[in-house]
Amino acid sequence: MKEQENIIHISNLEIGYPIKGNINNTLFNNINLAGSSGELIALVGKNGIGKSTLLRNISGLQEPLKGQINYFGKLKNSYSRTDFARMVSFVSTEIVNVNNLSVFDLVSLGRFPHTNWLGKLKPEDVNRTARALEMVGMSSFSRKHINEISDGERQRVMIARTLAQDSKIIVLDEPTAFLDLPNKYEIIHLLNKLSKEENKTIIFSTHDLNIAIQEADKIWLMLEDKIAEGAPEDLILNETFNRIFEKSNLKFDKLKGDFKMQKSHHRKIGIYGDGPHFVWTKKALERLNFMVVKENESGQYIKIEKENNLCKWTLIEDKNIKEFSSIYDLSIHLKLQLKN
Amino acid sequence: MLSKRQYFFLWILLSFILIVLFIFDIILGSVRLPFFDVLKIIFTGQTDHPEYATIIYKFRIPKALTALFAGFALSVSGLQMQTVFKNPLAGPYVLGISAGASLGVALLVMGLSTFTVVSQVGVLGNWTIVLAAWMCSGLILFLILAVSMRVKDIMTILILGIMFGSATSAVVSILQYFSNESMLKAFIVWTMGSLGGVSLAQLKVLIPSVVIGLLLTFLLIKALNAMMVGENYAKSMGLNVRSSRFLIFLSTSLLAGSITAFCGPIGFIGIAVPHIARMVFKTANHKILLPGTMIFGGIVLLFSDIISQLPGYDKTLPINSITALVGIPIVIWIIIRNQKITAV
Repeated sequence: MKEQENIIHISNLEIGYPIKGNINNTLFNNINLAGSSGELIALVGKNGIGKSTLLRNISGLQEPLKGQINYFGKLKNSYSRTDFARMVSFVSTEIVNVNNLSVFDLVSLGRFPHTNWLGKLKPEDVNRTARALEMVGMSSFSRKHINEISDGERQRVMIARTLAQDSKIIVLDEPTAFLDLPNKYEIIHLLNKLSKEENKTIIFSTHDLNIAIQEADKIWLMLEDKIAEGAPEDLILNETFNRIFEKSNLKFDKLKGDFKMQKSHHRKIGIYGDGPHFVWTKKALERLNFMVVKENESGQYIKIEKENNLCKWTLIEDKNIKEFSSIYDLSIHLKLQLKN
Repeated sequence: MLSKRQYFFLWILLSFILIVLFIFDIILGSVRLPFFDVLKIIFTGQTDHPEYATIIYKFRIPKALTALFAGFALSVSGLQMQTVFKNPLAGPYVLGISAGASLGVALLVMGLSTFTVVSQVGVLGNWTIVLAAWMCSGLILFLILAVSMRVKDIMTILILGIMFGSATSAVVSILQYFSNESMLKAFIVWTMGSLGGVSLAQLKVLIPSVVIGLLLTFLLIKALNAMMVGENYAKSMGLNVRSSRFLIFLSTSLLAGSITAFCGPIGFIGIAVPHIARMVFKTANHKILLPGTMIFGGIVLLFSDIISQLPGYDKTLPINSITALVGIPIVIWIIIRNQKITAV
């Protein structure tokens, strides 16, 4: 256990950019965090709070303004450039788009800190590159060019490059930013798998909170005044998540594990029904600023009736009864009503 | 990606073309030399016509060697700049090297005309022009190197290089405005470039400079491969980005600076040839791209030189116009072929 704690340890770190002389543009200070081996860590926080800067500091691309980052108990300066690269690898948000660059050549660049001055690939380096491609499921793409593959495939290749670099710590800046939903899930799931099977410490920043909650072992949550860390579940239960977007109308839904826009409700409406039809009808009504209440608390209510595969929505208002065959028709009617 | 056998075949083919063009460059010229006499002189050193030997040793071979090495140097430095700046339109002169050289020559040629009565450029001699060009491009080099050690962002360096270039061009314009006609013509002729003006003695300086520059570049293959995916990635893989950048600029300046000093600013080779090599070798790996670019550079410049001396006539066209006329269609073709020229 003790050894585990020592992979990465950040204490009293101040990050930002030096402006002139001793004046600094500090983005965040007093950062204290830790990461263990085999851990997938998600860095979460709103735009502009300093996630990328923190990651650049961790991966050695930028110097901390104050404080220190310990890698295996030692500071960056006590490692040579090459040794440091063998310990920490990095995937940035920059899209690598080089003409004629083959997937294999890109991934084999990861062997950079392991090869001689000419960068000659020994059989071991070729094997490691091939294995890295295999681990991310991209073996069959090896001879393709990097600008002929999709964004999701490219992200896998970039991850394979870090695996070829064979570093204990992998840092990724928003690896899911350009991806569609299935790819987002797959990439993060892949990172989870790699952290466990290869025993790596993987740190990534993301805005996809629900995916992070499902897959990450630990969350580093950047709030306005401090960084909170803990298992995603802990942060949900102690209501820390609610503080990310303090100044907006977003509220964290503890049961669903996702954010929801807080709206001011104007009118009340009741719904009779059950199952998915009830849930989605409720969502649609909430979008229209209705507050869904129990059966008889309002004069207006909707009855959902299912016959075979068909479904109809009946709007009952005092003595007026109207039937609709879709939620869309219902919402158009309600919108018109709201206007009058 | 091509297979190993395809690469092998390409290397053999290109080397063969290079050698053939080199020999043709010696044979063809204002004075027609018989094919077999030339081969005999080159390979055995003996001939029944001593005047042929004189032409070959004093003029044709130095010129062909100059074309060969200028082709190597300019194309390789162009490749380096395209990789470092991740910009397909970068070339050996983006750092302001040719502008620096032309400032040196302009100061010498036209500056002198305002102070002295010397009206013949010939009096100054070739060496003086070379030294002036070298000194001023060296000055620009040191400015760029000093800046590159302090500035983090590579794009800033690119912009500063262009600014330095524009500033020196402005000074050159002022000099041109105040100089007399003969000096102006001497300067203009220099800017058109010439491969024929390099003597054997000068080759003894030019070739070692280019060889050192090329050796330096070959030592930087690993660094260039890392820099091509961006400086952040290069740094995260353990490359010392600043010192690599310094060495790359140093070798580019040595290559492009020496050629510009001796031959004048020869354009387009440096921009166009790396693209030809990329297209033929279908790789971004500098281990293949660098020798490939080098060999294509030699081929294109030898070819341009053969055309420029208009075989059969006693006139020679300015080499700069020929490289431009050969280079421009290639660049246009590249742009149209892959509509989106992304980073190299």
